[in-house]
Amino acid sequence: MTDELILGRHRFASRLILGTGKFADAETMTAAVKASGAQLVTVALRRFNRERPEDDLMAPLAELNDVTLMPNTSGALTAREALKAAILARELCGSSIVKLEIHPNPHHLLPDPIETFEAARLLVAEDFDVMPYIPADPVLARRLEDAGCVSVMPLGAPIGTGQGLSTRGMLRTIVRDAGVPVIVDAGLRSPSEAAAAMELGCEAVLVNSAVAAADNPPAMAQAFALAIRAGRAALAAGLMSRSDTAVATSPLTAFLG
Amino acid sequence: MMRLTVNGERHEHGGDGTVTALLQEIGATPERVALLVNGEVVRGAKRDAVVLREGDSVEVVGFAGGG
Repeated sequence: MTDELILGRHRFASRLILGTGKFADAETMTAAVKASGAQLVTVALRRFNRERPEDDLMAPLAELNDVTLMPNTSGALTAREALKAAILARELCGSSIVKLEIHPNPHHLLPDPIETFEAARLLVAEDFDVMPYIPADPVLARRLEDAGCVSVMPLGAPIGTGQGLSTRGMLRTIVRDAGVPVIVDAGLRSPSEAAAAMELGCEAVLVNSAVAAADNPPAMAQAFALAIRAGRAALAAGLMSRSDTAVATSPLTAFLG
Repeated sequence: MMRLTVNGERHEHGGDGTVTALLQEIGATPERVALLVNGEVVRGAKRDAVVLREGDSVEVVGFAGGG
């Protein structure tokens, strides 16, 4: 039986989405993408600068087979700016899938829920497959789903902090109510956190810093891929229920005393 | 010469005012960049029809790493 991640018009076998920021160089980034098996990778828009040709990721990304680009709208402060960024990005790569992110405050990089919601409506109307980066708010998640987003991407913790699944309780509520895939985006540090997210019912995990800032990014990318598969398999297998008291696994027959 | 603002900086354009000429002048590979002219996205199909004018503001953007 196939277990595909379905995001609007797109289907993926891999449930790891990899960001391409903060890698030491393009070679390390592409090695990490290959090692992870990721089929969906995020990219950002940046002003062209002939002095910095290494910024241009189009050529190295084009060498990767079976990889779909998901441009983000990072840098946009308003819904209108996010729409403009998304249209520009679609001109560049032709992909209908867009990671909607609007985070006006550089200190915490938390998403602006009001502009994000407005942008989602504009982008859905422009026929994008919209993947909004959001605070772990079940009401907002539901509203975005109703607005036509193909997934919701609540944060585990603020971007780049490595604080893990600090929103675990709210993620559980979002997953319970969601009719679209819930994808944890941001804040993770270790593969065990990715596995935990999958076990509680998230359908994919997006990581960037955790891989890019590891000592060995390709090896860490592979570790995340394994953890995500393990968490998904555990969910399917059905976790045992918790008990407040011990429940013996060995017979406690009284023949020794 | 035509004075433009390209990616926020003053730029003296010595070509014929087409997008192709500007991209060649700044060393950009046409298929790896997208453009805004005076804040409006230039759709791919219409790129060849654009004629830049004195004072226009052009943003030339490409993909970079991002999460």
